[in-house]
Amino acid sequence: MTEEKKPEEKKKRKTATEAAAKIGPMVKAMIADVLQARKEGKPIAYTFICCCYDEIVRAMDIVPAWTENYAGICGAKRDAQRFLERAESEGFSRSLCTYALCGLGFDAWREQLGEMPPDAPWGGQARPDVMLGSGQILCDPRNKWYQAAQHYIPDVPVYAVGLPWPPYESDYDYREVQDYYVKYIVEELRGLVAFLERHTGRKMDWDRLSELVDLTDRTWNLIWETYELRRAIPSPMGTGDAMNTMVPIVFMMATQQAYDFFKELNEELRHKIANKEGEVPDEKYRLMWGGGLPAWFALNDFNYFNSKGAVFPVETTYRTVEAVYNFDIDLSKISDPLEHIAWRWVKFWTYWYDKARKRPGSHPDVERLIQYIEDYKIDGIVMHEAFSCRTWHVGLIWQLNRLKKIYRDIPSLILESDIVDISSYNEADTRARIDAFIDTLEAVKSKGK
Amino acid sequence: MIHIAGVDIGSAFSKAVIMAENKIIAYQVKPSGGNYRLTAEQVTKGALTKAKLSLKDIDYVVATGYGAANVPFSREAVSDISCLARGVHYLFPTARTAIDIGGQFTRVFKLDKRGRATAFLLSEKCAAGSGRFLQVIAKVLQIDLKDIGELSLKSRNRVDFNTGCAVFAESEAISRIAEGAAKEDILAGLHRALAAKVQAMVERLGIEPDCALVGGGAKDIGLVRSIEESLACRLLTPDEPQIVAALGAALIAGEKAAAIKASR
Repeated sequence: MTEEKKPEEKKKRKTATEAAAKIGPMVKAMIADVLQARKEGKPIAYTFICCCYDEIVRAMDIVPAWTENYAGICGAKRDAQRFLERAESEGFSRSLCTYALCGLGFDAWREQLGEMPPDAPWGGQARPDVMLGSGQILCDPRNKWYQAAQHYIPDVPVYAVGLPWPPYESDYDYREVQDYYVKYIVEELRGLVAFLERHTGRKMDWDRLSELVDLTDRTWNLIWETYELRRAIPSPMGTGDAMNTMVPIVFMMATQQAYDFFKELNEELRHKIANKEGEVPDEKYRLMWGGGLPAWFALNDFNYFNSKGAVFPVETTYRTVEAVYNFDIDLSKISDPLEHIAWRWVKFWTYWYDKARKRPGSHPDVERLIQYIEDYKIDGIVMHEAFSCRTWHVGLIWQLNRLKKIYRDIPSLILESDIVDISSYNEADTRARIDAFIDTLEAVKSKGK
Repeated sequence: MIHIAGVDIGSAFSKAVIMAENKIIAYQVKPSGGNYRLTAEQVTKGALTKAKLSLKDIDYVVATGYGAANVPFSREAVSDISCLARGVHYLFPTARTAIDIGGQFTRVFKLDKRGRATAFLLSEKCAAGSGRFLQVIAKVLQIDLKDIGELSLKSRNRVDFNTGCAVFAESEAISRIAEGAAKEDILAGLHRALAAKVQAMVERLGIEPDCALVGGGAKDIGLVRSIEESLACRLLTPDEPQIVAALGAALIAGEKAAAIKASR
């Protein structure tokens, strides 16, 4: 019986920054807050990251329950298998997104019991009042997951917000059509506000929303400035830590807590840089995490890289912000908060378009890699193919091939496993690949010597 | 005289190579089995016996392969790609690309003029991309693994497999046997399927001549010909392709031993 399985023990990952070490308790408190909200009868929304509705939900005092986060927690605690198996027994294919499978398995189990599954990680995931899906970034689970969850919680309504952005074409300027996209997104967000008011009984506080939009802008700027500090040699913080510090970015946006967290991290990194304190004592190789969600149960692999003198000053994953003052539009002049959110969204996803158009054969995703390679003095790229995550999988190899063709041949490594499903992972194999990659980095660095 | 050893504990076979004065003086190959530590001792002892030496005569031992951590008498472990590159370079100094078909993975790598790997790809975690694919079908056809190559060359009507998956290929082979297909035609089809996998990896990495083929898969002449046909080039293959990683490990051990001696 799946109910009797116990999680495997996992050694806690050592972080380089004090700020990253605080994330675990913060997430635990976040989960506890959702459970407390359930007890107090506050409205709870199942939510996805990067869906534009952070400020909206918070301005209406609705408590977000981040379902991808909870699946990731189960994975990180190596306690996801029983929920995956539960979803499989409900008829869902194991090849679907394992975040979704984990969440669906959990929901099915919780609803069957009428209480949390036994020993649910960190107390469990509370039953929601509404579910806010999205069709953004081609991620089909974001559109279908909550619809499937309605098998178990049929009384909980779903709103799937459409968040498109202009597609990239090398021979036209996306600005010709950007207004249409913004208009569409604003309508979607107005529909969301109406949906939330109808189903939760909460009224939108528009002044509060404007305040939170401003706070989010300032937080984006601060995050960007803080992460840019990692350009320093030696780099004071790596991707292993960034897989922790993503929490305030994607789960706590539009809160003072997120802003304060990055203020503190910014100060810590400045202090480390002033003292020439790197992530590792002897920095030999600077790597970029160039794509793919991490294997949450294997974050110790970052420490293994570190043990070889390899650091990750930059990553594309979860770096879902830019400094808004870098955009070609002054967001502060947009008075409607929903329009403000929509413009920020479109400008983020089109940020690399102009650069890509200037380099024949390039693409925004590749251009981003090139900029990071140069800004952060990168020696090699590591990517992760999580078998159940098609969204991130698609295009990784293409990006590396394109990079080689239009820019230069840079050593690369593609790791294989999953985000949650530990059965896809083999530590010995992974580390053998890392060892070989380090050897090739050394050979390339010492070329001609 | 400095004696050195390289020990490669692979997922299917383990190998030990003893060298002196940059020459192989003995080697041993044996199935890895389920106890890597014991296998490491046995395969090394086998090679040492052939060389009329004992472990205390060896100045430096480097381990590599899947079970490298299970060689307690080694001074250090080195990645299999690095050892393979060094071994290929020793055997074929002009090689700049190499393919290793092992029991668990297929590896494709580029190497520089000093025998250092500069880029590599490993097959995905799937038996269809490795020597395991051959083992599965050999069992179905009740043929000794070593006879597959010669037999496949007799094919006149190659069976095209509809799948690249070892599990599905096994059932497809059974279906073809039931239909009356000849064993050699099934084997030729199998080689073609494996060669297509290798071709995709080589094309992704980019081939640079000369190209070598090593690992247990290189003992299968039918597979060698099939890959040559796919890549449209002649492949360099050693007489004993299974020991290349152990050979590279021994060469690296030699460098380490020489450095120690020079520092004294």
